[in-house]
Amino acid sequence: MNLERLPNEEKLSLCRKYYLGGFAFLPFLWLVNVVWFFREAFVKPAYTEQLQIKTYVKRSALGLLLWVAVLTTWITIFQHFRAEWGEVGDYLSFTIPLGIP
Amino acid sequence: QTHIADEGKVKPLSHPRCYSAFLSFAGVSCNSVEKKIYVHLNYTVSCVRLLNATHQIGCQSSLSGNVGVLHVLESEENLDWVLHSGPNPPYMVILESPLFTRSVMMKLKNGSGRVAGVAVVAPNTNPAEGFSPHTTCPNENTGVYSETYEPTMANCNMTVWNPLGNGLSYEEFDFPIFSLKDDNDTQVIRQCYLDHNRAGNGSTPQYPLCAMQLYSHMSAVTDTATCMRRNAINFSLNPEMVCDPLGDQNVWASTRPLNNTAKGHKMWESVVIAAARLDSRSFFFDIAPGAQSGVSGFVTLLAAAHALRNATQEAQPNRTILYTFFQGETFDYIGSSRMVYDMENKQFVVDLDNVHSVLEIGQVGLRADSKLWLHTDPVSRRNESLNVTVDVPGFSQPLPPSSFQRFLRARPIPGVVLEDHQSAYTNKFYESMYDNAENLNVSYPPNLTPEEQLEYITDTARAVTEVATMVARALYRQAGGEESQLSSIKADPQIVTKMLYSFLVRSNNSWFQQLVPSDFTSYLGKPPNFYVGVVQQSSEPTLLVQYLLANLTGSTINITQDNCKNQREDESDKMYNYMWVQGAAPPNSTEREGYCVRSTARLSKALSPAFDLEQYTSKNFSTWTESRWKFIKGRIFLVASHELEMLTLGVGVGVLLSSLLVTYIISSKADILFSSGREPTNATY
Repeated sequence: MNLERLPNEEKLSLCRKYYLGGFAFLPFLWLVNVVWFFREAFVKPAYTEQLQIKTYVKRSALGLLLWVAVLTTWITIFQHFRAEWGEVGDYLSFTIPLGIP
Repeated sequence: QTHIADEGKVKPLSHPRCYSAFLSFAGVSCNSVEKKIYVHLNYTVSCVRLLNATHQIGCQSSLSGNVGVLHVLESEENLDWVLHSGPNPPYMVILESPLFTRSVMMKLKNGSGRVAGVAVVAPNTNPAEGFSPHTTCPNENTGVYSETYEPTMANCNMTVWNPLGNGLSYEEFDFPIFSLKDDNDTQVIRQCYLDHNRAGNGSTPQYPLCAMQLYSHMSAVTDTATCMRRNAINFSLNPEMVCDPLGDQNVWASTRPLNNTAKGHKMWESVVIAAARLDSRSFFFDIAPGAQSGVSGFVTLLAAAHALRNATQEAQPNRTILYTFFQGETFDYIGSSRMVYDMENKQFVVDLDNVHSVLEIGQVGLRADSKLWLHTDPVSRRNESLNVTVDVPGFSQPLPPSSFQRFLRARPIPGVVLEDHQSAYTNKFYESMYDNAENLNVSYPPNLTPEEQLEYITDTARAVTEVATMVARALYRQAGGEESQLSSIKADPQIVTKMLYSFLVRSNNSWFQQLVPSDFTSYLGKPPNFYVGVVQQSSEPTLLVQYLLANLTGSTINITQDNCKNQREDESDKMYNYMWVQGAAPPNSTEREGYCVRSTARLSKALSPAFDLEQYTSKNFSTWTESRWKFIKGRIFLVASHELEMLTLGVGVGVLLSSLLVTYIISSKADILFSSGREPTNATY
């Protein structure tokens, strides 16, 4: 979809939908929001809805950073300690590597 | 019983065939590039990973195989090249058998990444000084002697049974260890080393070097509890079995038929158990000739059972003799612990209250000075008086590792273990790949055909026959038979020598062909292997012993094949087991005449109770499991230097980048280069 052809109200409603959708444990929607609307929010000359779009983009970026931090921490801990956790580690895993602890 | 030989062990992909018929039509001959690079090893025998409640033992390779530069080790000092000074680590070490010792292997184990693997060249004759990769104290934690039962005798504090044991089988290695035969293929490997890898006169060997890649990736890890848990996980994306418990089946038969459907205590039944062990092991997987450690014992018992056939049918003694052949005794008494457990839980045809005494036959093949020793348990003998006239080790000595110890753990039953050693083993190759016919001095004069060898009575056979006669008479007397019958009980040396030939040299002979059912004959061609194996895969020796026991203690019955296979005779058929065997062909025809054998020879499950109770960390029962693997193979090839590989990669990347650059330049100047009067159009997407 080419954002150039949309009227500004529709851009705002699209940005809002993606922002609200990301709260359903879907951080990728926030990533898409940030990447897609970055130029609209910060590079383009000002228009009425741009302030709102800017807010949504900033909050999506914040949420995204939070998710990235949490997931990175959890993944690092899990990869490092899965072998030591024994039974719990095995029950948390989808694929258990063969031949190594 | 079907033979699931390849469960979980996928056959390797063969290299793509050349459809040369098509190409030769065009006059072009076909060449496979892979065949030009790699020489595959034909005979791949490796050590595998076994796990128990606390440890993992054996070898492991990486998932994509371990690659190493070949090095034929000349002496123990030459290890310095492999471990410290060699310029091209990691190395794949080829060991001749005199160097396959504990000190060399421990140094290689601590090689910290410079050792990619080991290949041991197995000699054609046994080494002179003895070699036993087993521990010095076999089955020390699952016998009867422990902290609670005479701790002074536990852990071989009094007698070290296997002094030559170096414990290599129970060490853990993180590189693959393969066994090579000393034949032309191995000579190719040695020649490859001499041509390319030999460091001559202080100069370092130049690339390309000869290298070997060994694959033996094992799936299971840590210990039995972990691998059984991973077997049982349901919700993972690809559920995969990683290990299997070791086990098989015990063979048993009785002189008087017992009702097998009524388990538990049998009133008025007093049973003398005559026990022997079936299995053995070695450092490498599926190689277990087990001549002295297993075959000598069970062949003696089979011969004794045959000698007692007439005596126990005509003048029946008071007590029943129960012949039992236990499988899996090498791995913490799998078979005997299971039978004792079944007896305690009323799952077996008799129970422990019915057992009067136990006579076990241990290793009896190598009698130095023709002496035999009766071992007893000094702790349980303190309260009783036994009149023993055969040689007894004069001092108070614990029982050697034997199945009888598991019976003693449950109840103080009187019993003896017959061995040919007074204290330490006389077997110099206990549980190793050298415990073969040569170890027992079973040798035949040259220029005999296989059929003549089958019938030739060797000295070892005569010695074993003497032991069998003595055992049969002792069993008869112990069962309460009359003394007058004793002199007529004699073991047949012809049967003994045929059994020794079949179990030690070749099982595909005319005698065995007559004794087995027709669907079993395809299993007869394999070399003798007494490794217990995993429980899903029944081993051939167990079934062979069952057929033999049926033939030697049972009788031929005249019923149709259909009735025989469905176990139907008359109202007494619950007491017997019926087998249809293929028999011999009469002289003037090629069709074999089968017949039905009626006997009391049966199989009983030999799986450690720890797996039924799901106590995978049990200290009381065997918890041994064997890991699964995808394939085991090896190949040799020439390997280039690291610098050449990096250079090739760099040139390739450079060509890629430069071609991208040229394409970009040309495309940006396209209107100048390819002027054809067309306006370039702008498309928006």
